[in-house]
Amino acid sequence: MKRNLLPARLDLAQSVTGLVLAVFMAFHLVFDSSILLGANAFRFVSGALEGELIFGQKIPLITTLFAGVIFAIFIAHAGLAMRKFPQNAAQYRAFRSHMKEMRHGDTSLWWLQIWTGFAMFFLASVHLYIMMTQPDTIGPAGSSYRIVFEWKWPLYLLLTIAVVLHAAVGLYRLALKWGWFEGKDPNRRRKTLKKAVWIVSAVYLAMSLAALGAFVHIGLTGQDHFGNQVEVVPR
Amino acid sequence: MSSPSPGRTLVFKILRHNPQDPTSEPHVARFELEEYEGMTLFIALNEIRERFAPDLQFDFVCRAGICGSCGMVINGRPGLACRTLTSTLAPEITLAPLPVFKLIADLSVDTGEWMRGMSERLETWIHEQTPVDLHAVEERMEPELAEAIYELDRCIECGCCIAACGTARMREDFVGAVGLNKIARFRLDPRDARDDGDFYDLIGDDDGVFGCMSLLGCHDICPKELPLQTQIAFLRRKMVRVS
Amino acid sequence: MKIVYTDVLVIGGGLAGLRTAVGVKQRGFDTIVLSLVPAKRSHSAAAQGGMQASLGHSAMGAGDNEDVHFEDTVKGSDWGADQRVARMFTHVAPKAIRELAGWGVPWNRVSQGEREAVINAERVVITESAKAHGLITARDFGGTRKWRTCYTSDGTGHAMLFALGDQSIAHGIPVMERMEALALIHEGGRCYGAVVRNLVTGELSAFLARATTIATGGYGRIYKVSTNAVICEGTGTAIALETGVAELGNMEAVQFHPTAIVPAGILTTEGCRGDGGILRDVKGHRFMPDYEREKRELASRDVVSRRMTEHMRKGLAVQSPYGDHLWLDITVLGREHVHKNLREVTDICRYFLGMDPAEDWIPVRPTQHYSMGGIRTDHRGESTTLKGLFACGEAACWDMHGFNRLGGNSVAETVVAGMIVSEFIADFCAGSESDINLSTGLVREFVEREQAGLDGLLNSSNGESASAIRSRMEEIMIEQVGIFRTGSELESAVEELEQLLERSRRLSVRNRVPGANPELVAAYRLPKMLKLALCAALGARQRTESRGAHYREDFPQRNDRDWLNRSITTWPSAEATLPRLDYESIEVGDMELPPGFRGYGTRDHIDHPHSDQRHRQIEQILKAVDPNDRYARQAALMPFEHLLPEKYRPRSQRLEIKT
Ligand SMILES: Cc1cc2nc3c(=O)[nH]c(=O)nc-3n(C[C@H](O)[C@H](O)[C@H](O)COP(=O)(O)OP(=O)(O)OC[C@H]3O[C@@H](n4cnc5c(N)ncnc54)[C@H](O)[C@@H]3O)c2cc1C
Ligand code: HEM
Ligand code: HEM
Ligand code: SF4
Ligand code: F3S
Ligand code: FES
Repeated sequence: MKRNLLPARLDLAQSVTGLVLAVFMAFHLVFDSSILLGANAFRFVSGALEGELIFGQKIPLITTLFAGVIFAIFIAHAGLAMRKFPQNAAQYRAFRSHMKEMRHGDTSLWWLQIWTGFAMFFLASVHLYIMMTQPDTIGPAGSSYRIVFEWKWPLYLLLTIAVVLHAAVGLYRLALKWGWFEGKDPNRRRKTLKKAVWIVSAVYLAMSLAALGAFVHIGLTGQDHFGNQVEVVPR
Repeated sequence: MSSPSPGRTLVFKILRHNPQDPTSEPHVARFELEEYEGMTLFIALNEIRERFAPDLQFDFVCRAGICGSCGMVINGRPGLACRTLTSTLAPEITLAPLPVFKLIADLSVDTGEWMRGMSERLETWIHEQTPVDLHAVEERMEPELAEAIYELDRCIECGCCIAACGTARMREDFVGAVGLNKIARFRLDPRDARDDGDFYDLIGDDDGVFGCMSLLGCHDICPKELPLQTQIAFLRRKMVRVS
Repeated sequence: MKIVYTDVLVIGGGLAGLRTAVGVKQRGFDTIVLSLVPAKRSHSAAAQGGMQASLGHSAMGAGDNEDVHFEDTVKGSDWGADQRVARMFTHVAPKAIRELAGWGVPWNRVSQGEREAVINAERVVITESAKAHGLITARDFGGTRKWRTCYTSDGTGHAMLFALGDQSIAHGIPVMERMEALALIHEGGRCYGAVVRNLVTGELSAFLARATTIATGGYGRIYKVSTNAVICEGTGTAIALETGVAELGNMEAVQFHPTAIVPAGILTTEGCRGDGGILRDVKGHRFMPDYEREKRELASRDVVSRRMTEHMRKGLAVQSPYGDHLWLDITVLGREHVHKNLREVTDICRYFLGMDPAEDWIPVRPTQHYSMGGIRTDHRGESTTLKGLFACGEAACWDMHGFNRLGGNSVAETVVAGMIVSEFIADFCAGSESDINLSTGLVREFVEREQAGLDGLLNSSNGESASAIRSRMEEIMIEQVGIFRTGSELESAVEELEQLLERSRRLSVRNRVPGANPELVAAYRLPKMLKLALCAALGARQRTESRGAHYREDFPQRNDRDWLNRSITTWPSAEATLPRLDYESIEVGDMELPPGFRGYGTRDHIDHPHSDQRHRQIEQILKAVDPNDRYARQAALMPFEHLLPEKYRPRSQRLEIKT
């Protein structure tokens, strides 16, 4: 009999893609929140990421390519993870009633992951598409314009909540799934990890939502909260 | 001794259905009992049968939390009824049969058939290298290893982990924590000649270890407090290494 | 009418039944196991403390061997045991342990070097030999001279039963669950199988086999409080009795375990005391040394149970709403030991008493525990009077326990008997003796008789309620056929039980469905249980002596002169309300260990007239044999190896551990 190694590889791939995405997001949201330090900080960060420091000028193609890679990982992860979705109405109902009866934390968290993942499938796709196609618009002015006048703030609001919760819970699950950080007393450690999930989520949410607020503020007033002028017009 | 809670009247809401009887429809039956100190669900159910419902079906064998017969869903969560003191529950108690397993009637389900199927599928027995020589001194084993094997051997096949697992509820072929724990147990046992490749053939798919979504209902509900979380994680690492 | 054919029908899926099934299957015969519940839920799973086998690898077991185990077993039995069977048993027990080890039982192992233990309430240091490191270890149990009880923490029965359950699956043996044998099919002194009821559908069918084996466990549930599982109702024993042909032995020999929790009656293992736990009274005083200076808490079970009852009668019990009790104190063992090595006990205390036994004392009292009596068989496990019917395990009176069995000897018996008896069953099946020439008409008759009985119950109205009669029976048994017995109480017990049996012939049920029907089940089992109760009560009334677990306050001495025998009961006819009682004498002249002082209380028994003679004879015989060759000495006194199946005859090796 030939051993079918596919299931092992798919499971591993699901975790690796999830991990890569989560790590990416951890940085992404920090960079994004540089707007809290003012328009110039954000300009510097976004510029740096587009190769300004190395090449002396911004190269939007880097963003396009990078976003493409992330998009690919994202699609791969979504595809792998979707295997775990309820496959039909009966399974859906079975899980839901089970979750309701059990009132069990980790079971409910999985449901949260399913839904946030499902939502991101649409929300993040839009975002990534924009980032791939309009990398040159990134900057305090362009981003603020997009968020306020192109009505992206509701999308970001939902996406922020979804991605932070999904990634934090995803990382927690990853640790349990592969037995990382078990320590001497795995039950205690699990409690600690869970606490960490909530703390990290809260911190990231606060930070990212504040950043979103900062973009909106710039869009509406034409200046960041340090008073620096930003010219918010369509390019 | 547990503290007495004098004078409570307990209301039992029991999901009743007898698939043997074509006229039977699933419904919730309500019974009231006066509580007394030391009352367990074993005592309460027997009293209900004695006084109100002579046809009420449920399974108890050891009535001591040892044999795993009496798994049922108690207020939404699977557990062993015999060792559940009513004093640990609110006065309104809902009881339902374990899901996933075939319903025999009322609170009685066929865990035996399921477990046998799981055992046959996962070959949960020692695959000996050579049969033991009964007359010779036994093979040595490190005391700590023996204890570690026993730790996993403590599973009583009560089925609670299956009923507590969202994956098992969605996918009927999932072997569940009980099956994965068995494999972990035999893997640990030096008397078993199988290697990781052999175990991979048994659980290396989405009905096995890769189907588990780390929901951990199993771990949190297992009446024997088996270390299911760490065992499944450990197996997953080993099985991935095979590939 | 559905008829199922097989070579060997095994009724009972506990340790004894499963080991028998595996044995005959290994010999190439087809077999089917029937069980009331999934096999792994059988009562064997509840055995906590351990299994006796004289490996002698632990420091405190050093020097142990078959001879010492034999002597302990016979003394424990108060000389009621069949000494040849006890020899066969002690000879094979080490092999059974090793076979189970091969099948995966994670026996606890010797760990070399010093370790702390509690003996007689004092901390001592034991040094385990490096030579024995990693071999199977043992703990102390009541009534044994050496530490001999092998264990897996305190889930020994569970580990054994699961290993055997898995073996039966590996061998592809069908185990049919929720199937109850209602009657044996027999004709002309030959058993052909059983009428079986499906407990889910209610359907009756006939299982026909060359050999039928009953391994249905004990009958503890005829008592109000029992450590036994609720399915231990003895129906397997009763269907043998109801043939009118098969004999039951020593039904009055019923063991009480000293330490079951109050009120639930759930056992805390003898391992608690074996590991150093002690008993205390209402004042916190440790009283056992006052009665048994030498063995204290670890005297044999019948003795400890009686001493506890005696002490409680003196007004030194703790009073509770659920009756009197004493304390079991294992706090002396230390938290770590309690939580690790006595985990089931910890769980039981936590869930049923809401306390931690490492902190507080456990409320305990003696509670019905084990049925020494059962289907009388020869050393091959075959009924002495009904050909083709075999029995083993607690359901049988094979007779290695006599009037009191030692802790740890019972699970050992189940597997050892399973090993031995399955060989004899296979031999039987291999011969033409086992051919079945039976008309289906006869089978139909048996099935129809059972069906008529059930229909009768379902259709009658205004009859008696089974549960009322049953609870009266349970009360009578615990109050009048309990630890201390007197002639007058037994007299009234027999009388009332007889009335109950008559009343039980006019039962009716409220719930009239023919299939799954717990009330119907209770009703048809009741007369069976009452018959067993009558066998026990009548046996006890007639036996005017005290032996092992059978203690008559009006006849406190063991009386070898008049009572060195086995009580044999049969059921004369369907209409009878009392069993027939006969006696099978136990020959002193054949004994390797003639009756003597058991080592408890004061030396006080009435000698058998041939006892002295046999003692002298033995001295004589031994003079001629090399004093250093224990095998030769044994063989000279009472040869037994020829009685064993060939494959179990070789001697068991063990490392000799010096202390
Ligand atoms: C709490 C407790 C602790 C114990 N601890 C120890 C210990 O530490 N050491 C020790 O040596 N002994 C111990 N014993 C005793 C020992 O466990 C039992 O004597 C032994 O396990 C009996 O095994 P068995 O196979 O004969 O019967 P069981 O295990 O009782 O099995 C009986 C089987 O018969 C089936 N059955 C019964 N009636 C019918 C019927 N009519 N039709 C079909 N099937 C039927 C049942 O379903 C079951 O499968 C303990 C006993 C108790 C109560
Ligand atoms: C390489 C790919 C990506 C690039 C270059 C990128 C870039 C950006 C930029 C520039 C912003 C600022 C707002 C704007 O200009 O529109 C932003 C915001 C955001 N991005 Fe991305 N992004 C990438 C991938 C992703 C992915 C995969 C996700 C999530 C699944 C994500 C989630 C978000 C969210 C939630 C915000 C809003 C943050 C807030 O609330 O402040 N991004 N991204
Ligand atoms: C379309 C978008 C997405 C979908 C549908 C999706 C879905 C899922 C699902 C269902 C799981 C649970 C898998 C399981 O239980 O085995 C999961 C796990 C995970 N997801 Fe996502 N996800 C998406 C996007 C993301 C993104 C953007 C990130 C990173 C920020 C991410 C990070 C993770 C991580 C770390 C895990 C845990 C991995 C594992 O359990 O193996 N996911 N995802
Ligand atoms: S793993 Fe635990 S919950 Fe599952 S069957 Fe075994 S004992 Fe029951
Ligand atoms: S609940 Fe189910 S999904 Fe895995 S962790 Fe336990 S088996
Ligand atoms: S009846 Fe045995 S565990 Fe509850």
